[in-house]
Amino acid sequence: MATDIQISIVGSAGDGTIAAGDILRNALAGMGYKVISFDVYPPEIRGFGKCIARMRITTEQAYSLKHQSDVLVSLDDSHAIPHAGELRDCGALVYEQKSLVKLPEGGHMSAHVGPGQLPYPVPIRELSEKSTGANRSRNIVVLGFLAGLFNLPAEGFRKAIGKKFRNKAAAAEASEAAFKAGLDYAAKTFKLDDVTFGPPVSSVVAGATVEMINGNAAIARGALDAGIDTFFGYPITPATSIMERLAAEMPRRGGRLLQTEDEISAISAVVGAGFAGARAATSTSGPGLSLMAEMLGMGVIGEVPSVVFVSQRGGPSTGMPTKTEQSDLHMAVYGGHGDAPRIVVAPTNVDGCYRCAGKAFEMAEAYQTPVIVLIDLYLSNRYETVVFPARPPFEADLNRKPGKPAAGAPYKRYALAADHVSPRAIPGDKGNMHVVTGLEHNELGRPNDSAELHTAMSRKRHEKLKLALNHPDFTKFKRFGDEGPVDVGVISWGSNFGECLEAMLRARSEGIRCAAMKVVMLSPFPTEAVAAFMADCKEVLVPELNYQGQFANLLQAHVAKPVTRLNRVSGEPMKVEEILEEIRRLAGRGKTAQKAA
Amino acid sequence: MGDIKPVYLEEKLKEVEESGRLDYRSKTLPTWCPGCGYFSIVEAVAASLCELNIPNENAVVVSGIGCSSRFPFFVNTYGMHTLHGRALPVATGVKTANEALTVVAVGGDGDGFAIGGGHVPHAARRNVDITYLLFDNGIYGLTKGQTSPTSAVGFRTPTSPYENPDRPLNPLLMVLSYGASWVGQAYAGRPDQLRSMITQAMAHRGFSYLHILSPCVTFDKTHRTYQNLGMQVRELPADHDSADRAAAMRLAMDDATPALGLYFREERPTLGDALDSLVEKAGGELPGKPAAKPARKAARR
Repeated sequence: MATDIQISIVGSAGDGTIAAGDILRNALAGMGYKVISFDVYPPEIRGFGKCIARMRITTEQAYSLKHQSDVLVSLDDSHAIPHAGELRDCGALVYEQKSLVKLPEGGHMSAHVGPGQLPYPVPIRELSEKSTGANRSRNIVVLGFLAGLFNLPAEGFRKAIGKKFRNKAAAAEASEAAFKAGLDYAAKTFKLDDVTFGPPVSSVVAGATVEMINGNAAIARGALDAGIDTFFGYPITPATSIMERLAAEMPRRGGRLLQTEDEISAISAVVGAGFAGARAATSTSGPGLSLMAEMLGMGVIGEVPSVVFVSQRGGPSTGMPTKTEQSDLHMAVYGGHGDAPRIVVAPTNVDGCYRCAGKAFEMAEAYQTPVIVLIDLYLSNRYETVVFPARPPFEADLNRKPGKPAAGAPYKRYALAADHVSPRAIPGDKGNMHVVTGLEHNELGRPNDSAELHTAMSRKRHEKLKLALNHPDFTKFKRFGDEGPVDVGVISWGSNFGECLEAMLRARSEGIRCAAMKVVMLSPFPTEAVAAFMADCKEVLVPELNYQGQFANLLQAHVAKPVTRLNRVSGEPMKVEEILEEIRRLAGRGKTAQKAA
Repeated sequence: MGDIKPVYLEEKLKEVEESGRLDYRSKTLPTWCPGCGYFSIVEAVAASLCELNIPNENAVVVSGIGCSSRFPFFVNTYGMHTLHGRALPVATGVKTANEALTVVAVGGDGDGFAIGGGHVPHAARRNVDITYLLFDNGIYGLTKGQTSPTSAVGFRTPTSPYENPDRPLNPLLMVLSYGASWVGQAYAGRPDQLRSMITQAMAHRGFSYLHILSPCVTFDKTHRTYQNLGMQVRELPADHDSADRAAAMRLAMDDATPALGLYFREERPTLGDALDSLVEKAGGELPGKPAAKPARKAARR
């Protein structure tokens, strides 16, 4: 039996909502289910902001969260009541049975149970206090209750709890007791539920490993597997955890990581290290990328390999640091002064984060250029179960050979070659001394601003990047759904593509001829493949999480066919329903289309 | 004055050729104005690299933007001519990637203490094992003579046509307070001492800062001329203890009659040492230190 269950836990900051979600998804991933999960939390560490841990548990691969949850757990009714409608019919609603204080009318969850929903009032606080002497373990009581309610193996939960509190003996002990209290209470509960877990399905080939990790962790792992040896960075939400993970892991492999005084220093040191032959990277968010723009241009004209991981958040300026948005595409692709082409790749899921991070180092070295890996908060913090191959799928060293210097002749670092990629010596190579400069230069790297040279060098810097469109073993774009001509084609990028794919699949199940395409490589742009896809589509829909339609702008700069834009800046992932409704409308099936007819 | 001997051009040329330091000069001729103090600096750097016997390919000269920042083109080593103000972080990256390299950052007063002023304290406190040569001419020469952060109050330039109202910075005092492990001052008009100071700075293990006073012969005819500088500079007191940072700071505060020589020197772990100790703490394996090979080669999985 295929399993597809979405669980949401809603609470207030300090309730342990996110911690409970973390244990739950770890336990379920450990049992062999596929997980996709994304939490919502306020920018403050404490206070009484709303926290939601949401996860979708499946046996088949899922691409996004669902519009509705099958299970809703309330740790704080004031925050959870507005989400009561998120629970599907016949879904299970778990909430606190007894309120300590007298609530205003409608203040208790019991007043908000929908007609088809199945209520499970649990004395959460009482069970926590009786089992542990404190009410701090309410979140763990709930986990015990869910384990019992769904007949899930308690051992998996105990393992995940043990892992969570491995350095806190007292908390581990209290959690064990609270978990048992919840489990025992569930045994005495009459189960009305139609939410049932089937057995997990394993599809892992020998040698590979499955791990549930988020986008930032996947980026760090990709960088490590590609042999990163130097990293310079500055903390910024939501990219910080990339640096934190590398700070722990890199020294274990002999690598070096430095927290610099600002983002300008970080990218400068990365370019310096790249010049010296290292595999170097930095990570940042939009504000940091703004500061890095000038040095990225230096990397372009100096033809120095460098890798920048960028996780976007709501902007402009300080914007919405803990909300997601895809509004830095223009800056990633075009940012900075001058004709400064660079490679920009945007993975669409957590597995893609791993692959793009590793491949970024290969491409930076192969084409001697800065490479930006562009993700966003939704992907940084989204957990997915990812299958990692036994051997990292990355080349360890693609540095160009320095080339043989002609006797007595100076070294031509920027030789104009047929494939536009020059030999590249690094400091320490005897006889190949040269200067890398931000000035326009001749083949030797000496300052020169003649019309012929600026034209030739500009052409070199642009043309060599086209080689990246054929970079081996790397998905630059991919088409899904119906083959051949379709009524509606959905084309999107980055974290938002999962929702687009789900919407496309549902539209197909409704009989709409529909296809979807993800574009991973944003610069250089895979014009030919995208134009071919668009030629197959009667209507083209471009959903993305920004106001201007930045990807649609990029698309239309390359392919002259009108598209329909769907833009949201809610700071949250787009709803599958919204995309689906737009597909129906474009296919002539929607309510709007019927009205118009 | 009786001990001054005549210098014959032929003999001097022969001496220079035999010294081997011409190997450290590139074929590109400096683009500076005739009479610029920077000519003596490039000559001194070549002589110091030669004296320390550093293979050309193991030296990297990193600069920012400005008259002085054209420097890497005039020496026969690896070089990076980067962005305005960013020589120090780029040099930090180069050194971190490969500890076997001798890294020299060069730049002017505007490059280092205006636009790039935020990077100096951090390079100093981390004790990055590089040498920073600061060419201080108190003016923006490459943009044709505007005020700089070390220009005198009252200086009249195209951007301060009535007068410069801003008090000048004291870079020497700043760098001493930032915790630099080697701090000295030299004057372009005293080339022998300049060369000796550069050699000492390069030989120092850690962040060495050499402040080099130099005139801008084209755009400053009133303040920092050879004539004025020649009268102002003096030697550090013979009894100055270069291990005493507070004493060095007191001496640095007298910027009216700048003293030349070694202000401060201490031995302490470098950034590279600190990063290596992190590898040890994490239980990782320290890559060997193969000569002139990037550390990363051994760090691979």
